[in-house]
Amino acid sequence: MNPDYRHHQILLAALTNPACLAHYTNAEWELLIRLARRVKLLGRLALLVKEYDLWACAPLRTTNQLTSALIQATKLRQSALWELDRILWALEDFDTTIVALKGAAYALTGLPYAEGRLSVDLDLLVPADDLADIESLLKVKGWRHRQISVYDEHYYRVWSHEIPPLIHAERETEVDIHHTLAPLTSRLKIDSGLLFANAQTTSLAKVRLLCPIDMTLHCALNLFQNNELADDLRDLLDLHDLLLFFSRQNNDFWKLLIDRANQLKLGCILYYGLYFSQLIFKTPVPEGVADQLHAKPGSLKRRIMHRLVPLALFPQHPDRPMKRAALARWILYLRSHLIRMPLHILLPHLLYKTVRAIEAKSKAMMR
Amino acid sequence: MTVNQVPFQEFRMLLQNQGLKVAMGPFNVRINTQHLPLIKQLYGLYSHYRLVHDEIIEFHVRINTERSIRNPLRLNVRFLIDGQSPFESFPEEQALAVLEWGINLAIAVRVNHLLLLHSAVVEKKGATILFPAWPGSGKTTLCTALCHRGFRLFSDEFGLMDYRRGVFYPIPRLMPLKNESIAVIRKLLPKAIIGQSIPNTHKGTVAHVRPPEESMRLSENTAKARWIIFPKWIAQATTQLEPIADAEAFMLLASNAFNYEVLGTSGFRAVEQLVAQCDCYTLTYSDLDEVTTALHQLTDES
Repeated sequence: MNPDYRHHQILLAALTNPACLAHYTNAEWELLIRLARRVKLLGRLALLVKEYDLWACAPLRTTNQLTSALIQATKLRQSALWELDRILWALEDFDTTIVALKGAAYALTGLPYAEGRLSVDLDLLVPADDLADIESLLKVKGWRHRQISVYDEHYYRVWSHEIPPLIHAERETEVDIHHTLAPLTSRLKIDSGLLFANAQTTSLAKVRLLCPIDMTLHCALNLFQNNELADDLRDLLDLHDLLLFFSRQNNDFWKLLIDRANQLKLGCILYYGLYFSQLIFKTPVPEGVADQLHAKPGSLKRRIMHRLVPLALFPQHPDRPMKRAALARWILYLRSHLIRMPLHILLPHLLYKTVRAIEAKSKAMMR
Repeated sequence: MTVNQVPFQEFRMLLQNQGLKVAMGPFNVRINTQHLPLIKQLYGLYSHYRLVHDEIIEFHVRINTERSIRNPLRLNVRFLIDGQSPFESFPEEQALAVLEWGINLAIAVRVNHLLLLHSAVVEKKGATILFPAWPGSGKTTLCTALCHRGFRLFSDEFGLMDYRRGVFYPIPRLMPLKNESIAVIRKLLPKAIIGQSIPNTHKGTVAHVRPPEESMRLSENTAKARWIIFPKWIAQATTQLEPIADAEAFMLLASNAFNYEVLGTSGFRAVEQLVAQCDCYTLTYSDLDEVTTALHQLTDES
């Protein structure tokens, strides 16, 4: 194997075939921990080591770090669910529906390994018509926006699919409230009404979850539309988990998933999701499923993405970052912006971000 | 093998190439840097650190130099952990302070298998005194004085408690004296090894004290806590040790830990156990000789 990619293998083998950890050397364990930490998978790794009964044979310095990560994951999950509880309290007298997204949703669904997932923020989707009321109610009850620049405020309010993050004065969990699932400036127009119509109830009144199909699509959408893919291996693993979990619950899962992707015009997004989940995690996607998508990326795009995406998703070797991977990440960074914004917004936006990064650097020097 | 058994040239090669791997209490740290002034400072102050071979390293840190953007004639230093930079860069003169703070931050953020008290800890006759206190209460200065006068240094910053076994781990490291304390300690302990003063840091002027060799040599010997003393330096105050109620000690201790909330039930139980097994006091003092005598008396009486 190409030695440049050996660290990918050390991480991937641990995630997909944990039994092999029994033969890891100290040096391999050390690198594994550093890599897993970088891509927020240390909690997941801890669960796998336990599940495969390898805790006793793993080096103590390793299991101490795994313990630390599991404790942190537990705390973060507890904090996110508590924040949700407090939001329900704040909105007690307001008639609305709140859809929990991402980490909180996986915890409420009982997705396997959710207890090892490190999710820092609480992500929620609310009906666009209720957004203003919800925001002002929360502000009355102690939530605040962080200080942000006028430009960032404009970015959130006019172009983004979420409002600036809210944080309660007494707590630390950041609440991201979305009113749709893709930026307003992107070509994708997702009808949130369809998402709410199919959302499923939970044990918490007012709280809904996206139906399994939509939850899966949202995961792919977030990864291949909204994110920059760098170090996002955890999110692809989320997708793999969702595909496995839901397809085992429902025999029609794959057909429903394809139909919904076609209906919401998310064909390309789901194509990439299925492709890379299969490529990296060997997700058992039935043959021919992707062929039924109405929209698929062209073969040139596919070939380019095939080369670039793994280089971005997998962490860089912490001591020997590869130029090639840095380039791939930069190209995908540009791509993520190109598909989110038309050029007349994008170019000034990137210019602004660059200037501000330089300013921040030189400000630090002046201290 | 310890750092002072290695010739300077070899020490420098380690820092500049594969990394200097040393044990810091229960953790192993690997340090890389090309910055020669820092290398020289470390050689003087890290003398008694144990070198580590073939063991897993928890913290991989690096001090890089870079040109200042605003003033390209100036060099800045940047702290990196696993190749990532958790905070901004600082003027190069502050390299040692930045390295030490960076390691503190990494421990505080990542470690949850131990309860992390924000506390100085010293040991005598197999039992430890915890001095939990917020920055500015003089715990580093007090700790420096004590560990040169008959107490063994565990840490001036971290009370590392293994909450399953109920024992504390020593993590003796450089002790950063701030501002007026530097002159006070130079006068009080003329034999203490103190690094150069680093002015204009965000905590004012800082100078690092090298931990005593004995404390470094015994840094793998754990101990149980016996006393919890909340110290406060007050100008002109006479030394006063006042017992406090367990409930008050509990609240003070819990609110002073880095990861009490993260640990949930385990944190609660650990603090509960500590308060139950220790004698708890508040301490006000201004004179380091007087307070050292008082603390020897306290520990000898038991």
